[in-house]
Amino acid sequence: MSDLLGIGASGVRAYQSALTTVSENIANAATPGYAKRTADVREIAPALGIHSGGGIQTGQGVTVAGVTRSADALRAADVRTSSADLARSETGIAWLDRIETALTGNQLGDRLTGFFNAAKNVAADPSATVPRSALLEQASAVAGSFTATGKALDALDANLDATAGSAVTTLNSLGLALAKVNDGIGRAQPGSNGAAQLADQRDAILDQISAISDVSVSTDAAGRATVKLGNAGGPVLVTGNTTGTVTFARGNDGTVAFALQTPLGVSTVTPGGGALAGIVDGAARIADARTSLETIATAFTDGVNTVQAQGRNLDGNPGAALFAVGSNPTDITVSLTDPRGVAAAAVGGGPRDASNLKNFDTLRSSGAFEAKTTALISGNAATLNGRKQIAEAQSAIRDNAVAARDAVSGVNLDSEAVDLLRFQQAYSASSRVIQVARDTLQSILDIR
Amino acid sequence: MQIGTNQFYNKNATQLGKLATQADTLNTQIATGKKISAPSQDVVAYNRLSAIKQTNADSKAYASNVSLAQSLLQQSDTTLNSIGNQLQRAAELTTQAANGTLNDANRKTIAIELQSIRDDLVSLAGTTDARGQPLFGTASGGAAVVQASDGTVSFGGTGEISAIPVADGTEIQATDSAQRVFGNLPASGGGTTDVFAVLSSLISALNAGGNVSAATGSAATGLKAALTQVSNVQGSVGARAARLDIVASQATDAAAARETDRVGLEDTDISTAITELQKTMTVLQATQASFTKLGQLSLFDYLR
Repeated sequence: MSDLLGIGASGVRAYQSALTTVSENIANAATPGYAKRTADVREIAPALGIHSGGGIQTGQGVTVAGVTRSADALRAADVRTSSADLARSETGIAWLDRIETALTGNQLGDRLTGFFNAAKNVAADPSATVPRSALLEQASAVAGSFTATGKALDALDANLDATAGSAVTTLNSLGLALAKVNDGIGRAQPGSNGAAQLADQRDAILDQISAISDVSVSTDAAGRATVKLGNAGGPVLVTGNTTGTVTFARGNDGTVAFALQTPLGVSTVTPGGGALAGIVDGAARIADARTSLETIATAFTDGVNTVQAQGRNLDGNPGAALFAVGSNPTDITVSLTDPRGVAAAAVGGGPRDASNLKNFDTLRSSGAFEAKTTALISGNAATLNGRKQIAEAQSAIRDNAVAARDAVSGVNLDSEAVDLLRFQQAYSASSRVIQVARDTLQSILDIR
Repeated sequence: MQIGTNQFYNKNATQLGKLATQADTLNTQIATGKKISAPSQDVVAYNRLSAIKQTNADSKAYASNVSLAQSLLQQSDTTLNSIGNQLQRAAELTTQAANGTLNDANRKTIAIELQSIRDDLVSLAGTTDARGQPLFGTASGGAAVVQASDGTVSFGGTGEISAIPVADGTEIQATDSAQRVFGNLPASGGGTTDVFAVLSSLISALNAGGNVSAATGSAATGLKAALTQVSNVQGSVGARAARLDIVASQATDAAAARETDRVGLEDTDISTAITELQKTMTVLQATQASFTKLGQLSLFDYLR
């Protein structure tokens, strides 16, 4: 009869553990990164070769052998890959969006149109001062617009540096955290609640890392993760309890490069996904936009100054340069302050001659500055639009991957309620067994 | 497939967020009246809108040039009319002076009237336009005609004033130089002379008295040539004004066509947008209702 008591007691203990696991699941139903756990309930088999009592083998009760974590490594890897792809597109979109704002914010195209139209009005009345002053005002508006657009791109570059810096810092601290978790997993007893917790943490960190850079992850038998940046051939960021340090550098041409420093040496990181890849794309886009803008600015200022030099001002002297350019082609200022200095007349034309202003029209159509500005903006806009569509598709792919992963590892409160009922009843029944064992024993003790 | 509770809430939050964003976009389109707020929303439309905007600005600059040219041509026409009348009167007086029945005293009286006509012509030649510039000026600037202390008149400056750009590739000469109006008359002894010189020599001949038939003869020829020249210039002014009217009406038509294009590309179609918004709101409300209902469903409610 002591067996019956023992079996009842083992049931109470086992189902208490099972109930704890279920309530843990319920409590963490909304915890991000939590994978559903199941108590591994097993019968305690009698040791072979030992015959008890009457020779009939009976079981020894029930025990919880461990906690199983419901996770699918392949589905988790799918989520990481799709997250990295999406993060790249979304980071790229953020930069393209800012470039769009920087390029359109100062209405460069409108200012250029205004300048050339002011020249047309001077041509109608070349000897009057008012249209000439208006032309100088428009010239300073164009100069201001070029300068402000250039500065906006500079600000984007500074912003990008800061973003890249903080992304790298986050990546490094995630690497450190993962190394610590790896260390913990090595010490934790397999199948324990602690091991499941550490595995949850490991997967959560891997998800965060994959938002920053695409990774290739492999786990050893104990569950320790080895993380390579980029594809399977990429440099190793974390292995066991050691981690490398990612650094960020800017080239002279505005390109961005990442490197990984480990005790083994320094290797180049070529991110193919995640925020880092988006930052590389963004830096290239900013550099392209700046090059185009500077080309337009240089052609415009040179062209206008050449036309000025060809003509004669109101006093019959050769026209002085209208624009002065600073160290950067977009740092433009208006160097002509006297409205009389606008060279409207051709050589020997006199104050009421406006023949030289026709050269502005020629410059406008040959230089096509406004069309080039529009092309610069719409080129960026087309890329942005395309990226948004790609991101939408990638977002759907990631949502599906997350749904597939959560179908395995997510907690469903209804099924937990069912388990709660099941284990509660088993617990009650086991306590009943203890009572029956006592009653049975008592009936023997009661024999007088 | 089992739906995790966490996933159920996340998914609904995303869907509700998307619908709210859609409603907000439509609301912005209705409030601003513009479909496109950034180039990336419609690249093709942005390109066309930029071109339309640029042409609108060009057309505005040309419009102010057109109205300036129109007023200058109008003023030229009026002034040339007065000049023609004066020359007509001078020609009549010349014919009168040639009449053999007049005596020297009569001719002196005619000379006095001719002198006042000449003075009028000098002041007409010096007319200033609305901007305060000589109407019959030259490219080199300064007064149109200069009268010396001895009464001789010379033309100030050289070259024609630049034509005014009124449309892409179209320029209109809004004014003519005094030389073109009063000068370039064939002189009897070869070379060229001008109206003022013709009148001066007639006036001095009439004042001198005696036989004036040679003087009146050459003056009559000179004045006839001058009248022809003035009416030619006036005709040319009229033709240019007519051309300007065509340019202006073409610009108006083109602007109207551009405006139609712009409205189609950029403006929100209010009725479509409101219908779309209503649809989105209905879907949003339905999603909210079904989310609330599904969220209430829990087995725990039945565990007592």
